[in-house]
Amino acid sequence: MRKPTGTFKRNTGRRITSAVIYFILICISFVYLEPVFRVISKTFMSAADVIDPAVDWLPKASSLDNLKIAARVLNLKTSLLNSLWFSSLLAAAQTLVSALTGYALSRYEFRFKRFWFMMILLAFVVPLPVLMVPRLMMFISFQEAAGIKMIGTALPQVAMALLGQGVYSTVLILIFYNFFNMIPRVLDEAAMIDGASPIQVFYHVVVRLSLTTVLVVFLFSFVWNWNETYVTGTLVAGTIELLPGKLNLFDQQFENLISASGSAFRLNEAYKMAATFISILPLILLYLLVQKQFIQGIENTGITGE
Amino acid sequence: MRRQNRMGYLFMSPWILGFLLFTLFPFVATIGLSFSSVNATIRGYEITFTGWENYITAFFKNVEFVPALIEFVMMLVPYTFMIVVVSFVVAYFLNRIKRGRTLFRTIFFLPVIIMSGPVMWQILDSQTVINGVALPDDFSGLFLFNILESYSPMFSNMLSGVFRQLSTILWFTGIPIVLFINGMQKINPSMYEAARIDSANEWQILWKITMPQIRPIALISAIFAIAQLSTYNIVAVYTLIRTATANMSNGLGYAATYAWIYSLVVLMMIGICFLIFRAPRDREVPLP
Repeated sequence: MRKPTGTFKRNTGRRITSAVIYFILICISFVYLEPVFRVISKTFMSAADVIDPAVDWLPKASSLDNLKIAARVLNLKTSLLNSLWFSSLLAAAQTLVSALTGYALSRYEFRFKRFWFMMILLAFVVPLPVLMVPRLMMFISFQEAAGIKMIGTALPQVAMALLGQGVYSTVLILIFYNFFNMIPRVLDEAAMIDGASPIQVFYHVVVRLSLTTVLVVFLFSFVWNWNETYVTGTLVAGTIELLPGKLNLFDQQFENLISASGSAFRLNEAYKMAATFISILPLILLYLLVQKQFIQGIENTGITGE
Repeated sequence: MRRQNRMGYLFMSPWILGFLLFTLFPFVATIGLSFSSVNATIRGYEITFTGWENYITAFFKNVEFVPALIEFVMMLVPYTFMIVVVSFVVAYFLNRIKRGRTLFRTIFFLPVIIMSGPVMWQILDSQTVINGVALPDDFSGLFLFNILESYSPMFSNMLSGVFRQLSTILWFTGIPIVLFINGMQKINPSMYEAARIDSANEWQILWKITMPQIRPIALISAIFAIAQLSTYNIVAVYTLIRTATANMSNGLGYAATYAWIYSLVVLMMIGICFLIFRAPRDREVPLP
């Protein structure tokens, strides 16, 4: 008679615990998503709704006007296209270099390997502002010496990405390093015996086997380059119109553009949130498509392993 | 062996070249520049050594720099603490549920994808200001806060800052949560079993097994959080550095000094994290 009550008690106990856990997780999820929800709800509000204290989440009369005006201020067509090619270009460069570096670390025993590994990890924690002043001076000096326009173009960042000093390069290298470690070495050796050169082994054996990882690294790099504004702001300095950069200057540009055209619009929350919504929408769509790969990518960094 | 060496360096060469050119050299150069006056002229840069001049300006003459730096530290410390604690708690809970884990993980990872300086700025701006009127602070009126305020206004400010920007702080936990979950799954299950046989309850298991085993990941998360927060360009120090960079008459010298002091603070914070999370030497738990 006693035993069943015991299990019954334990089961209810367990059920209560898991209900509490779900409740807490749902609350935390709400706090996470609250800013996104607010951006979306404000996006579709009219100017009257924004001021109306009775309107909290759901707009009374929803309209697409905010989106249209925000798109005009952001110069959406140009800046979206620019952001796309700019981020893709940098992401491609970063992916290539991270793959090469990850491969060297995973397959070869070279001298001072541990030292270089430490340097790769250290490079991650060096704050960017400390590097930017000399970098800027280097690019300006080079620009004047060689007569090639550097500042205001994508060139400096492409150069840095191609040499492995892009956004969060360390994380990308670690993703490749750990994935390459999982590919059996026997495959390399078999290819070597058949007369493949190290570069052929790298491309035909290792990279071919890790196409998903290549994609994950590319996407991470794409997203991070898209969101990066400090280095871009310093080196490109608004010459190429990029979506996050335009969002940064939204308030000012709104005033310039709208008051110049003489219309009665005044800057309010709804326009700002509509602009924010536009600039995160491409990323959210991308995330919905490949969210699983993104999370697995971070799991594969293996920084948790050692 | 020589072949290994050569091929290894061949594949490493782009990264090493970039590191020397774009990371190591600028790092050293910034130290040098912080002690000199840099003027941009038509013929290039005129760099003259001025000793501690820039530092004196930064600390004693510029009225904005020191407050901005203090504000940064006051943000960094509670934020990092909250990020590590919250991501540990969320990961612990996620590890204990069976259904819906993927959905929750997807939600918690979303900010990693969409977070950027301008987006955060717009969102924060809309949180604090509506139609040009600053919102009243909901928390400072609480009785508990009044008690705290009378003891230490600094602490109560820090705490109310944490509450006011809870969403913002949570947005930095995306990657640490994944790291923590991953680390928790790697803890040897036989250790839990052994503890249960010795009739330890869940609470004891959490404190005696999970927490000590997860310590290295807490360190990585803290470092990651600091690295992310310090590149988070809403920080007032960033604005100072950027305006100084744009100034042609010795702006770059000041920018270098500000940046160098700022980085020193960040690196010191990371050092402190190492000290906090390093394994206790005397009673180190042998890894399975």
